Amino acid sequence: MRTAKGRKRFILLCVAPAVILFVIFMIIPTLNVFRISLFERGAYSPTETFVGFDNFNTLFKDEKFIVSMQNTILMIVMVTIFTFFFALMFAAILSREKIKGQNFFRIIFYIPNILSVVVIAGIFSAIYRPDNGMLNSVLSMLSGQQIQVLWKDQPMVIVSIIMAMVWQAIGYYMVMYMASMAAVPESIYESAGMDGAGRFRQFFQMTLPLIWTNIRTTLTFFIISTINMAFLFVRAMVAKGMSDVGLSFMYNQKDAGLFGYSMAAGVIIFLFSFLLSAAVNRVTRREVLEM
Amino acid sequence: MKRIIALALTCILCMSAFSGFAAASEGPLRVAALESGYGPEMWVEVTEAFTAATGIEVELTTDKFIEDIIGPAMQGGDFPDVIHLATGREKALTDQFIKDNLILDITDVLDRAVPGEGALVSEKIAGGFTETALTNPYDDGKTYLAPMFYSPCGLFYNAGLFEEKGWTIPATWDEMWALGETAKAEGYALFTYPTTGYFDTVIPTILYSVGGPEFFDKVTNYEEGVWDTPEAAKYMEILTKLASYTHASTPAQANDTDFTMNQQMILDDTALFLPCGTWIVDEMAEAPRVDGFQWGMCPVPEIAAGGTGYSYTWFEQAWIPSGAANQDAAKQFVAFLYSDVACDIFSASTAIQPVVGVAENMTGDNKMFFSIYDTGAKAAMGGFAAYESTAGLASVREVFMDPFNALVSGQTTADEWLADMRAANDQMRANLMQ
Repeated sequence: MRTAKGRKRFILLCVAPAVILFVIFMIIPTLNVFRISLFERGAYSPTETFVGFDNFNTLFKDEKFIVSMQNTILMIVMVTIFTFFFALMFAAILSREKIKGQNFFRIIFYIPNILSVVVIAGIFSAIYRPDNGMLNSVLSMLSGQQIQVLWKDQPMVIVSIIMAMVWQAIGYYMVMYMASMAAVPESIYESAGMDGAGRFRQFFQMTLPLIWTNIRTTLTFFIISTINMAFLFVRAMVAKGMSDVGLSFMYNQKDAGLFGYSMAAGVIIFLFSFLLSAAVNRVTRREVLEM
Repeated sequence: MKRIIALALTCILCMSAFSGFAAASEGPLRVAALESGYGPEMWVEVTEAFTAATGIEVELTTDKFIEDIIGPAMQGGDFPDVIHLATGREKALTDQFIKDNLILDITDVLDRAVPGEGALVSEKIAGGFTETALTNPYDDGKTYLAPMFYSPCGLFYNAGLFEEKGWTIPATWDEMWALGETAKAEGYALFTYPTTGYFDTVIPTILYSVGGPEFFDKVTNYEEGVWDTPEAAKYMEILTKLASYTHASTPAQANDTDFTMNQQMILDDTALFLPCGTWIVDEMAEAPRVDGFQWGMCPVPEIAAGGTGYSYTWFEQAWIPSGAANQDAAKQFVAFLYSDVACDIFSASTAIQPVVGVAENMTGDNKMFFSIYDTGAKAAMGGFAAYESTAGLASVREVFMDPFNALVSGQTTADEWLADMRAANDQMRANLMQ
């Protein structure tokens, strides 16, 4: 009895620091976001005035906020589709086919993921340069005429950001899928091959369903991270206001001295990502296949 | 025993988590300065000279992104004593302090003696510098921000190219457009700009030249109907034409990562004119350039020949947050910034204090740049009046400068831009700070 009690206390003490830190640095700030969204105050100002839901009313009429949320949604959809398509394709090729230098490709694809966003922004500013950038040069060479696309200007700027984000994310997810594909026993593929199933059929009817749990988890994870990464890419790559996403809109409002308004945008983005993850989780629910 | 150790360890862990919250006590004078094109060394020397002159210890912080260093602590109520950071920056930290009334009134500093010298601060600061909206933001006759490092702004060009081609510097906009056509025929673009933020030097100059100081005051104080006047139409006509002569790649590079590529266009003889301040010489010192390149700077053209040319005087600001702990020492430090010792240290790094007679012993490129006022150009100073932050209302830069990008790339028209400016003008006037 005594030892059980002592043990409980010991566990409590062990957990306490983490719980206290979590409450101080996660729970309280998050609750504060909700609280401040009902006030009008500057970031450095000690005074605050309660304005109820005024910030939200203005927010839903603010054209810039609506455009930035549209951009966010466009990025989530496009970046997710392209990243998952390429990541799955490369993972399937690298784990199922016999290719020379498999490990080499695996490393090459993974490298973008360990680079910081600032470095990626630097690399892409060289790629997207209008006059002698890599992308325009390649396009000119292929088409045989001088092509000068202004990648970082309207209307191409959002496409440029999406391309950079896809490039950055592929490697990480590819490695994740390769790991789960490696767990699928070779014998299943052999028997399927004998039954006359081709490569594509094997991929869609066996590989995909068998790694579905993994895809589902990474999908939720990816959507949330895209909301965050889009902010970093927009901040690092293009001029302020050129193609804002939800979080960069929120950040700019803070710079404009509208802390409460910025937090109201934060609340909407928080609820948006929360609901979106829940919806994705719901939609992708399937019966788990056992190998 | 084990339990006691565990308890002790937990306590240490918790305490270490809180140690970051320790409040700053009244210690040395804390100075935070932006490390701009002039480099950080001059600030180290000036604070050392200040300590030598007054015996007050100084703790100096300089950084290229000083907002990110001091911002979070200030949100928690911990302020440096003196901050050197200009208005109009992207993070707009100083602007926010103005809007929230969080800057200490330093009018009395003007009547103080400069530490180590007999002269008063007001006698040393050159005329006009403490009378603009950039130092007296509330128009109440009180000075809140101290003027620092000034720089004549104008259009920078390759003087070597103009000499080689035998072109003359356009004095009027008509001559400018004529040169634009000549240049276009030879494959040069007439104009480029680093980012739209640099229009804070061009826009006031054009406002001055279309309507004189009166029109400038009307625009910067958001007077009703100011964007329906013939002056406004003329102003917009100039901007539209300028946009049509701008190098097409400019907007795609007009961001904080690529703006030096736009500046490079001048060094490469791709574009002819670029608006900037004198710091560009140091900023691009390492960049490759065409043979025979030589920096030149001229005022923004005028409407008619023989008019008054204006060159916008850009200057930075130093200020004391009203939450500062050592306010008296902070005021002494601000006064010291205008001492001969400090001015000499600053000018060694080509940062020029707005002090009477400082331009007399200049050398090199700076001598040519600052002589712009001797050759007839009038100094234009000032900026947009402060208005209260309001949800949904854009910033001055977003309304009056950023759309130039879209004008160049054809994403917006002059009429659309004017309509936006009219709407914002009314809202800004309604929220003007008094």
